[in-house]
Amino acid sequence: MEIVKTKENSSLTFALEGRLDTMTAPQLEAEVNNSLEGVTDLAFDFAKLVYVSSAGLRVLLAAQKKMNKQGKMEVRNVCPEIKEVLDVTGFSDILTIV
Amino acid sequence: MSENPLDKYGLNEHCNSILKQYRERLPIFEKMKSIVKKALEDSIQQNNLYINALEIRIKAEKSLAGKLELKGAKYTNLSDLTDILGARIITFYTDEVDKIAALVDHVFDIDWQNSIDKRKMHELHSFGYSSLHYICSIPKTLYYDPEHPEINEYRFELQMRTALQHVWSTIDHDMGYKTDVEIPKEYLRNMNRLAGMLELADEQFSLIRVGITDYRRKVQSLVASGKFDEVPLDGDSFSNYMKLNPFDKLNKKIAAINQAEIHDSDMTGYLKVFRFLRFKTLGDVEKMKAHFSDDAYQLAVYQIAGTDIDIINSSVAVQNLVVVYLLSNGGGELALKSMFDVLYGESDYNNKRAARMMATAKQLSFMNK
Repeated sequence: MEIVKTKENSSLTFALEGRLDTMTAPQLEAEVNNSLEGVTDLAFDFAKLVYVSSAGLRVLLAAQKKMNKQGKMEVRNVCPEIKEVLDVTGFSDILTIV
Repeated sequence: MSENPLDKYGLNEHCNSILKQYRERLPIFEKMKSIVKKALEDSIQQNNLYINALEIRIKAEKSLAGKLELKGAKYTNLSDLTDILGARIITFYTDEVDKIAALVDHVFDIDWQNSIDKRKMHELHSFGYSSLHYICSIPKTLYYDPEHPEINEYRFELQMRTALQHVWSTIDHDMGYKTDVEIPKEYLRNMNRLAGMLELADEQFSLIRVGITDYRRKVQSLVASGKFDEVPLDGDSFSNYMKLNPFDKLNKKIAAINQAEIHDSDMTGYLKVFRFLRFKTLGDVEKMKAHFSDDAYQLAVYQIAGTDIDIINSSVAVQNLVVVYLLSNGGGELALKSMFDVLYGESDYNNKRAARMMATAKQLSFMNK
Protein backbone atom coordinates (compact mmCIF):
# COMPACT_ATOMS: atom_id res chain seq x y z
CA MET A 1 0.00 0.00 0.00
CA GLU A 2 1.21 3.46 -0.82
CA ILE A 3 0.63 6.31 1.61
CA VAL A 4 0.87 9.92 0.45
CA LYS A 5 0.85 12.37 3.32
CA THR A 6 -0.10 16.01 2.72
CA LYS A 7 0.09 18.53 5.54
CA GLU A 8 -1.17 22.08 5.39
CA ASN A 9 -1.12 24.02 8.67
CA SER A 10 -3.20 21.90 11.06
CA SER A 11 -4.81 19.83 8.28
CA LEU A 12 -3.42 16.43 7.41
CA THR A 13 -4.49 14.08 4.63
CA PHE A 14 -3.43 10.48 4.09
CA ALA A 15 -4.11 9.38 0.52
CA LEU A 16 -4.01 5.58 0.42
CA GLU A 17 -3.49 3.38 -2.62
CA GLY A 18 -3.91 -0.40 -2.75
CA ARG A 19 -5.06 -2.61 0.13
CA LEU A 20 -5.32 -1.69 3.80
CA ASP A 21 -4.99 -5.13 5.36
CA THR A 22 -3.10 -7.05 8.06
CA MET A 23 0.17 -6.55 6.20
CA THR A 24 -0.14 -2.83 5.53
CA ALA A 25 -2.20 -1.59 8.51
CA PRO A 26 0.85 -1.38 10.87
CA GLN A 27 2.56 0.96 8.36
CA LEU A 28 -0.45 3.30 8.38
CA GLU A 29 -0.78 3.00 12.16
CA ALA A 30 2.84 4.12 12.61
CA GLU A 31 2.37 7.02 10.20
CA VAL A 32 -0.79 8.14 12.00
CA ASN A 33 0.77 7.85 15.46
CA ASN A 34 3.76 9.94 14.38
CA SER A 35 1.81 12.65 12.63
CA LEU A 36 -1.21 13.69 14.69
CA GLU A 37 0.40 16.24 17.02
CA GLY A 38 -1.21 19.62 16.43
CA VAL A 39 -3.53 18.26 13.74
CA THR A 40 -7.14 19.44 13.98
CA ASP A 41 -8.41 18.21 10.60
CA LEU A 42 -7.51 14.70 9.58
CA ALA A 43 -8.67 13.11 6.33
CA PHE A 44 -8.17 9.71 4.76
CA ASP A 45 -8.53 9.77 0.98
CA PHE A 46 -9.64 6.30 -0.19
CA ALA A 47 -9.92 7.22 -3.90
CA LYS A 48 -7.28 4.62 -4.83
CA LEU A 49 -7.93 2.16 -2.00
CA VAL A 50 -9.62 -1.09 -3.03
CA TYR A 51 -9.85 -3.09 0.20
CA VAL A 52 -10.03 -2.60 3.98
CA SER A 53 -9.70 -5.49 6.42
CA SER A 54 -10.48 -5.54 10.15
CA ALA A 55 -6.88 -4.52 10.86
CA GLY A 56 -7.47 -1.41 8.74
CA LEU A 57 -10.74 -0.71 10.54
CA ARG A 58 -8.86 -0.80 13.86
CA VAL A 59 -6.37 1.83 12.61
CA LEU A 60 -9.27 4.05 11.48
CA LEU A 61 -10.98 3.56 14.85
CA ALA A 62 -7.84 4.49 16.81
CA ALA A 63 -7.36 7.59 14.65
CA GLN A 64 -11.01 8.58 15.13
CA LYS A 65 -10.68 8.23 18.93
CA LYS A 66 -7.62 10.50 18.93
CA MET A 67 -9.27 13.07 16.66
CA ASN A 68 -12.42 13.13 18.84
CA LYS A 69 -10.16 14.76 21.44
CA GLN A 70 -8.35 17.22 19.19
CA GLY A 71 -10.46 17.99 16.12
CA LYS A 72 -12.30 16.14 13.39
CA MET A 73 -11.71 13.31 10.96
CA GLU A 74 -13.19 12.46 7.57
CA VAL A 75 -12.93 9.48 5.25
CA ARG A 76 -13.23 10.59 1.63
CA ASN A 77 -13.83 9.03 -1.79
CA VAL A 78 -14.76 5.59 -0.48
CA CYS A 79 -15.50 2.95 -3.16
CA PRO A 80 -18.79 0.97 -2.92
CA GLU A 81 -17.05 -2.23 -1.78
CA ILE A 82 -15.40 -0.53 1.19
CA LYS A 83 -18.61 1.37 1.97
CA GLU A 84 -20.36 -1.96 2.26
CA VAL A 85 -17.74 -3.15 4.78
CA LEU A 86 -18.20 0.04 6.79
CA ASP A 87 -21.98 -0.43 6.72
CA VAL A 88 -22.14 -4.08 7.78
CA THR A 89 -19.64 -3.55 10.60
CA GLY A 90 -21.52 -0.50 11.89
CA PHE A 91 -18.41 1.66 11.30
CA SER A 92 -20.55 4.05 9.24
CA ASP A 93 -22.03 5.06 12.60
CA ILE A 94 -18.60 6.00 13.96
CA LEU A 95 -16.78 7.50 10.98
CA THR A 96 -17.66 10.59 8.99
CA ILE A 97 -17.74 9.36 5.40
CA VAL A 98 -17.93 12.08 2.77
CA MET B 1 10.47 70.15 42.32
CA SER B 2 8.49 67.06 41.24
CA GLU B 3 4.71 67.02 41.71
CA ASN B 4 3.33 64.79 44.51
CA PRO B 5 1.72 61.87 42.60
CA LEU B 6 -1.22 61.95 45.01
CA ASP B 7 -2.08 65.49 43.92
CA LYS B 8 -3.13 64.41 40.48
CA TYR B 9 -6.70 63.69 41.66
CA GLY B 10 -7.06 67.06 43.46
CA LEU B 11 -8.22 65.39 46.70
CA ASN B 12 -7.99 66.88 50.18
CA GLU B 13 -5.35 65.79 52.68
CA HIS B 14 -7.63 63.31 54.43
CA CYS B 15 -8.54 61.55 51.18
CA ASN B 16 -4.92 61.59 50.05
CA SER B 17 -3.91 59.78 53.23
CA ILE B 18 -6.42 56.99 52.46
CA LEU B 19 -5.14 56.86 48.87
CA LYS B 20 -1.59 56.57 50.22
CA GLN B 21 -2.62 53.65 52.45
CA TYR B 22 -4.20 52.02 49.38
CA ARG B 23 -0.92 52.22 47.45
CA GLU B 24 1.08 50.83 50.36
CA ARG B 25 -1.35 47.95 50.96
CA LEU B 26 -1.81 46.88 47.35
CA PRO B 27 0.43 43.78 47.85
CA ILE B 28 -1.78 42.79 50.81
CA PHE B 29 -4.90 43.05 48.64
CA GLU B 30 -3.17 41.08 45.87
CA LYS B 31 -2.48 38.31 48.40
CA MET B 32 -6.08 38.46 49.65
CA LYS B 33 -7.29 38.25 46.07
CA SER B 34 -5.44 34.99 45.42
CA ILE B 35 -6.60 33.49 48.77
CA VAL B 36 -10.24 34.41 48.16
CA LYS B 37 -10.19 33.21 44.55
CA LYS B 38 -8.68 29.84 45.43
CA ALA B 39 -10.97 29.31 48.43
CA LEU B 40 -14.06 30.05 46.32
CA GLU B 41 -12.94 27.90 43.39
CA ASP B 42 -12.10 24.95 45.67
CA SER B 43 -15.31 25.23 47.61
CA ILE B 44 -17.50 25.50 44.49
CA GLN B 45 -15.79 22.45 43.02
CA GLN B 46 -16.00 20.39 46.22
CA ASN B 47 -19.72 21.11 46.49
CA ASN B 48 -20.34 20.20 42.83
CA LEU B 49 -21.86 23.59 42.08
CA TYR B 50 -21.89 24.69 38.47
CA ILE B 51 -21.65 28.45 38.15
CA ASN B 52 -21.70 30.86 35.24
CA ALA B 53 -18.70 32.94 36.33
CA LEU B 54 -16.42 33.91 39.19
CA GLU B 55 -14.98 37.41 38.89
CA ILE B 56 -12.55 39.04 41.28
CA ARG B 57 -10.81 42.41 41.12
CA ILE B 58 -8.97 45.02 43.13
CA LYS B 59 -10.48 48.47 42.86
CA ALA B 60 -8.51 50.65 40.45
CA GLU B 61 -6.79 53.71 41.96
CA LYS B 62 -8.71 56.09 39.72
CA SER B 63 -12.01 54.55 40.77
CA LEU B 64 -11.06 54.83 44.46
CA ALA B 65 -10.06 58.47 43.97
CA GLY B 66 -13.46 59.14 42.40
CA LYS B 67 -15.22 57.51 45.33
CA LEU B 68 -13.13 59.46 47.86
CA GLU B 69 -13.87 62.70 46.04
CA LEU B 70 -17.61 62.08 46.49
CA LYS B 71 -17.76 60.39 49.90
CA GLY B 72 -14.26 60.69 51.39
CA ALA B 73 -15.44 62.26 54.63
CA LYS B 74 -17.42 59.09 55.40
CA TYR B 75 -14.25 57.02 55.80
CA THR B 76 -11.72 57.33 58.62
CA ASN B 77 -9.17 55.07 57.00
CA LEU B 78 -8.72 52.47 54.27
CA SER B 79 -10.19 49.62 56.32
CA ASP B 80 -13.59 51.41 56.31
CA LEU B 81 -13.79 50.81 52.58
CA THR B 82 -15.12 47.29 52.08
CA ASP B 83 -14.93 47.11 48.32
CA ILE B 84 -11.19 47.55 47.64
CA LEU B 85 -11.28 43.84 46.94
CA GLY B 86 -14.47 42.69 45.28
CA ALA B 87 -15.59 39.29 44.05
CA ARG B 88 -18.69 38.27 42.17
CA ILE B 89 -20.20 34.86 41.67
CA ILE B 90 -22.75 34.58 38.89
CA THR B 91 -25.05 31.56 38.99
CA PHE B 92 -27.50 30.19 36.47
CA TYR B 93 -30.42 29.68 38.85
CA THR B 94 -31.91 31.70 41.72
CA ASP B 95 -31.81 28.82 44.20
CA GLU B 96 -28.08 28.47 43.53
CA VAL B 97 -27.50 32.01 44.85
CA ASP B 98 -28.65 30.72 48.23
CA LYS B 99 -26.44 27.64 47.96
CA ILE B 100 -23.45 29.83 47.13
CA ALA B 101 -24.33 32.13 50.03
CA ALA B 102 -24.35 29.17 52.44
CA LEU B 103 -20.99 28.08 51.09
CA VAL B 104 -19.53 31.59 51.43
CA ASP B 105 -20.79 31.72 55.01
CA HIS B 106 -18.93 28.49 55.64
CA VAL B 107 -15.64 29.63 54.07
CA PHE B 108 -15.37 33.29 55.21
CA ASP B 109 -16.29 35.41 58.23
CA ILE B 110 -19.32 37.52 57.36
CA ASP B 111 -19.91 41.03 58.65
CA TRP B 112 -23.69 40.59 58.96
CA GLN B 113 -24.28 44.18 60.03
CA ASN B 114 -23.04 45.46 56.70
CA SER B 115 -24.19 42.63 54.43
CA ILE B 116 -27.40 43.13 52.51
CA ASP B 117 -29.80 41.00 50.60
CA LYS B 118 -30.84 43.51 47.99
CA ARG B 119 -33.13 40.90 46.55
CA LYS B 120 -35.45 41.44 49.51
CA MET B 121 -35.23 45.21 49.52
CA HIS B 122 -37.57 45.88 46.62
CA GLU B 123 -41.00 47.10 47.53
CA LEU B 124 -43.95 47.01 45.15
CA HIS B 125 -42.97 50.17 43.31
CA SER B 126 -39.23 49.99 43.75
CA PHE B 127 -36.73 49.98 40.98
CA GLY B 128 -34.24 47.27 40.12
CA TYR B 129 -33.43 43.66 40.23
CA SER B 130 -30.33 43.18 42.27
CA SER B 131 -28.28 40.71 44.15
CA LEU B 132 -26.99 39.45 47.46
CA HIS B 133 -24.00 41.35 48.87
CA TYR B 134 -21.86 40.00 51.70
CA ILE B 135 -19.08 41.85 53.43
CA CYS B 136 -16.51 39.24 54.35
CA SER B 137 -13.08 38.74 55.84
CA ILE B 138 -10.60 35.90 55.65
CA PRO B 139 -10.73 33.75 58.82
CA LYS B 140 -7.46 32.73 60.42
CA THR B 141 -8.49 29.12 59.94
CA LEU B 142 -8.31 29.68 56.17
CA TYR B 143 -5.08 31.71 56.08
CA TYR B 144 -2.86 33.27 58.69
CA ASP B 145 0.50 34.99 58.38
CA PRO B 146 1.68 36.57 61.70
CA GLU B 147 3.72 39.10 59.69
CA HIS B 148 0.58 40.28 57.87
CA PRO B 149 -2.35 40.14 60.30
CA GLU B 150 -4.13 42.75 58.14
CA ILE B 151 -4.95 39.96 55.66
CA ASN B 152 -7.51 38.81 58.22
CA GLU B 153 -8.57 42.34 59.12
CA TYR B 154 -9.39 43.99 55.79
CA ARG B 155 -12.88 43.23 54.59
CA PHE B 156 -13.95 42.57 51.04
CA GLU B 157 -17.24 42.55 49.19
CA LEU B 158 -18.75 39.46 47.65
CA GLN B 159 -21.72 39.74 45.31
CA MET B 160 -23.83 36.74 44.43
CA ARG B 161 -26.36 36.96 41.64
CA THR B 162 -27.98 35.07 38.81
CA ALA B 163 -26.98 35.64 35.20
CA LEU B 164 -30.20 37.61 34.64
CA GLN B 165 -29.59 39.75 37.72
CA HIS B 166 -26.14 40.37 36.28
CA VAL B 167 -27.63 41.48 32.97
CA TRP B 168 -29.90 43.88 34.82
CA SER B 169 -27.09 45.22 36.93
CA THR B 170 -24.74 45.72 33.97
CA ILE B 171 -27.33 47.59 31.91
CA ASP B 172 -28.46 49.57 34.95
CA HIS B 173 -24.85 50.59 35.60
CA ASP B 174 -24.42 51.56 31.95
CA MET B 175 -27.43 53.92 32.18
CA GLY B 176 -25.86 55.78 35.08
CA TYR B 177 -28.91 56.20 37.33
CA LYS B 178 -28.33 55.38 40.98
CA THR B 179 -31.94 55.57 42.21
CA ASP B 180 -35.46 55.60 40.80
CA VAL B 181 -35.70 59.27 41.74
CA GLU B 182 -33.13 60.12 39.06
CA ILE B 183 -34.61 58.14 36.19
CA PRO B 184 -37.04 60.04 33.92
CA LYS B 185 -40.57 58.92 34.73
CA GLU B 186 -41.39 57.94 31.14
CA TYR B 187 -38.67 55.26 31.32
CA LEU B 188 -39.25 54.16 34.91
CA ARG B 189 -42.36 52.11 34.09
CA ASN B 190 -40.58 50.20 31.33
CA MET B 191 -37.55 49.58 33.53
CA ASN B 192 -39.81 48.17 36.24
CA ARG B 193 -41.58 45.95 33.70
CA LEU B 194 -38.21 44.60 32.59
CA ALA B 195 -37.08 44.00 36.18
CA GLY B 196 -40.30 42.07 36.84
CA MET B 197 -39.87 40.09 33.64
CA LEU B 198 -36.31 39.08 34.53
CA GLU B 199 -37.39 38.05 38.02
CA LEU B 200 -40.21 35.94 36.56
CA ALA B 201 -37.81 34.45 33.99
CA ASP B 202 -35.35 33.51 36.75
CA GLU B 203 -38.16 31.91 38.75
CA GLN B 204 -39.39 29.98 35.69
CA PHE B 205 -35.89 28.73 34.83
CA SER B 206 -35.60 27.37 38.38
CA LEU B 207 -39.05 25.74 38.20
CA ILE B 208 -38.21 24.17 34.82
CA ARG B 209 -35.00 22.78 36.23
CA VAL B 210 -36.78 21.31 39.24
CA GLY B 211 -39.39 19.79 36.91
CA ILE B 212 -36.73 18.26 34.63
CA THR B 213 -34.84 16.83 37.60
CA ASP B 214 -38.05 15.23 38.94
CA TYR B 215 -38.89 13.84 35.48
CA ARG B 216 -35.40 12.34 35.10
CA ARG B 217 -35.66 10.66 38.49
CA LYS B 218 -39.06 9.21 37.60
CA VAL B 219 -37.81 7.95 34.21
CA GLN B 220 -34.72 6.46 35.80
CA SER B 221 -36.85 4.57 38.29
CA LEU B 222 -39.34 3.32 35.64
CA VAL B 223 -36.51 2.17 33.35
CA ALA B 224 -34.72 0.46 36.24
CA SER B 225 -37.92 -1.37 37.19
CA GLY B 226 -38.47 -2.50 33.59
CA LYS B 227 -41.80 -0.70 33.13
CA PHE B 228 -40.86 0.24 29.57
CA ASP B 229 -44.43 0.70 28.29
CA GLU B 230 -44.89 3.56 30.74
CA VAL B 231 -41.76 5.43 29.64
CA PRO B 232 -42.13 7.96 26.82
CA LEU B 233 -39.30 7.79 24.30
CA ASP B 234 -37.10 10.88 24.61
CA GLY B 235 -33.48 11.85 25.13
CA ASP B 236 -33.53 11.22 28.88
CA SER B 237 -35.35 7.92 28.77
CA PHE B 238 -33.28 6.64 25.84
CA SER B 239 -30.04 7.50 27.58
CA ASN B 240 -31.19 5.68 30.76
CA TYR B 241 -32.35 2.75 28.65
CA MET B 242 -29.00 2.49 26.88
CA LYS B 243 -27.29 2.17 30.28
CA LEU B 244 -29.04 -1.20 30.56
CA ASN B 245 -27.15 -2.32 27.41
CA PRO B 246 -30.37 -3.53 25.79
CA PHE B 247 -28.71 -4.69 22.55
CA ASP B 248 -25.74 -6.45 24.16
CA LYS B 249 -27.17 -9.95 23.85
CA LEU B 250 -27.82 -9.62 20.12
CA ASN B 251 -24.48 -7.89 19.51
CA LYS B 252 -22.64 -10.73 21.26
CA LYS B 253 -24.53 -13.29 19.20
CA ILE B 254 -23.63 -11.43 15.99
CA ALA B 255 -19.99 -11.02 17.07
CA ALA B 256 -19.78 -14.76 17.74
CA ILE B 257 -20.37 -15.43 14.01
CA ASN B 258 -16.74 -14.46 13.30
CA GLN B 259 -15.40 -14.39 16.88
CA ALA B 260 -15.35 -10.62 16.44
CA GLU B 261 -14.48 -7.91 18.91
CA ILE B 262 -17.30 -5.43 19.73
CA HIS B 263 -16.44 -1.75 19.80
CA ASP B 264 -18.81 0.17 22.07
CA SER B 265 -19.98 3.48 20.72
CA ASP B 266 -22.62 6.07 21.47
CA MET B 267 -25.95 5.14 19.89
CA THR B 268 -27.89 8.33 20.59
CA GLY B 269 -28.37 8.73 16.81
CA TYR B 270 -30.84 5.83 16.83
CA LEU B 271 -33.29 7.87 18.89
CA LYS B 272 -34.02 9.79 15.64
CA VAL B 273 -34.56 6.48 13.87
CA PHE B 274 -37.02 5.26 16.53
CA ARG B 275 -38.92 8.51 16.20
CA PHE B 276 -38.95 8.00 12.42
CA LEU B 277 -40.48 4.58 13.13
CA ARG B 278 -43.08 6.42 15.26
CA PHE B 279 -42.13 4.57 18.43
CA LYS B 280 -43.79 6.28 21.39
CA THR B 281 -42.35 4.44 24.37
CA LEU B 282 -39.34 2.34 25.32
CA GLY B 283 -41.83 -0.52 25.31
CA ASP B 284 -42.00 -0.17 21.49
CA VAL B 285 -38.21 -0.65 21.31
CA GLU B 286 -38.44 -3.69 23.58
CA LYS B 287 -41.21 -5.20 21.44
CA MET B 288 -39.10 -4.72 18.29
CA LYS B 289 -36.24 -6.47 20.05
CA ALA B 290 -38.42 -9.35 21.23
CA HIS B 291 -40.03 -9.96 17.82
CA PHE B 292 -37.18 -9.38 15.40
CA SER B 293 -33.90 -10.35 17.09
CA ASP B 294 -33.71 -13.73 15.34
CA ASP B 295 -34.25 -12.20 11.90
CA ALA B 296 -31.77 -9.39 12.66
CA TYR B 297 -29.25 -12.09 13.55
CA GLN B 298 -29.92 -13.94 10.28
CA LEU B 299 -29.31 -10.70 8.39
CA ALA B 300 -25.94 -10.31 10.14
CA VAL B 301 -25.01 -13.92 9.37
CA TYR B 302 -25.70 -13.30 5.69
CA GLN B 303 -23.63 -10.09 5.74
CA ILE B 304 -20.53 -11.14 7.63
CA ALA B 305 -20.30 -14.93 7.87
CA GLY B 306 -18.45 -15.19 4.56
CA THR B 307 -15.99 -12.42 5.39
CA ASP B 308 -12.88 -12.14 7.56
CA ILE B 309 -14.37 -9.26 9.56
CA ASP B 310 -13.44 -9.65 13.22
CA ILE B 311 -14.50 -6.28 14.61
CA ILE B 312 -18.00 -4.79 14.72
CA ASN B 313 -19.46 -1.66 16.19
CA SER B 314 -22.13 -1.95 18.90
CA SER B 315 -24.67 -0.33 16.55
CA VAL B 316 -24.86 -3.43 14.31
CA ALA B 317 -27.61 -5.12 16.36
CA VAL B 318 -29.88 -2.12 16.52
CA GLN B 319 -29.34 -1.26 12.85
CA ASN B 320 -30.24 -4.77 11.75
CA LEU B 321 -33.27 -4.76 14.04
CA VAL B 322 -34.51 -1.52 12.50
CA VAL B 323 -34.00 -2.84 8.95
CA VAL B 324 -35.89 -6.06 9.69
CA TYR B 325 -38.64 -4.16 11.53
CA LEU B 326 -39.14 -1.79 8.59
CA LEU B 327 -39.23 -4.52 5.95
CA SER B 328 -41.40 -6.84 8.05
CA ASN B 329 -43.94 -4.06 8.48
CA GLY B 330 -44.43 -3.52 4.76
CA GLY B 331 -41.62 -1.03 4.18
CA GLY B 332 -39.54 -1.30 1.03
CA GLU B 333 -36.45 0.23 -0.51
CA LEU B 334 -37.88 3.74 -0.19
CA ALA B 335 -38.54 3.27 3.53
CA LEU B 336 -34.99 1.99 4.00
CA LYS B 337 -33.60 5.01 2.12
CA SER B 338 -35.65 7.36 4.33
CA MET B 339 -34.36 5.59 7.44
CA PHE B 340 -30.74 5.91 6.26
CA ASP B 341 -31.40 9.60 5.50
CA VAL B 342 -32.51 10.05 9.11
CA LEU B 343 -29.53 8.15 10.46
CA TYR B 344 -26.70 9.41 8.26
CA GLY B 345 -28.15 12.56 6.69
CA GLU B 346 -29.59 12.76 3.19
CA SER B 347 -27.35 11.51 0.40
CA ASP B 348 -27.58 9.77 -2.97
CA TYR B 349 -25.49 6.98 -1.52
CA ASN B 350 -28.40 6.07 0.77
CA ASN B 351 -30.28 4.91 -2.38
CA LYS B 352 -27.47 2.42 -3.04
CA ARG B 353 -27.35 1.45 0.64
CA ALA B 354 -31.10 0.79 0.61
CA ALA B 355 -30.92 -1.16 -2.67
CA ARG B 356 -28.08 -3.32 -1.36
CA MET B 357 -29.89 -3.97 1.92
CA MET B 358 -33.10 -4.82 0.06
CA ALA B 359 -31.24 -7.28 -2.19
CA THR B 360 -29.69 -8.92 0.88
CA ALA B 361 -33.00 -9.09 2.76
CA LYS B 362 -34.73 -10.77 -0.18
CA GLN B 363 -32.44 -13.74 0.35
CA LEU B 364 -33.70 -14.19 3.90
CA SER B 365 -36.70 -16.05 5.24
CA PHE B 366 -38.33 -13.15 7.12
CA MET B 367 -39.15 -11.46 3.82
CA ASN B 368 -41.23 -14.44 2.82
CA LYS B 369 -43.19 -14.88 6.08
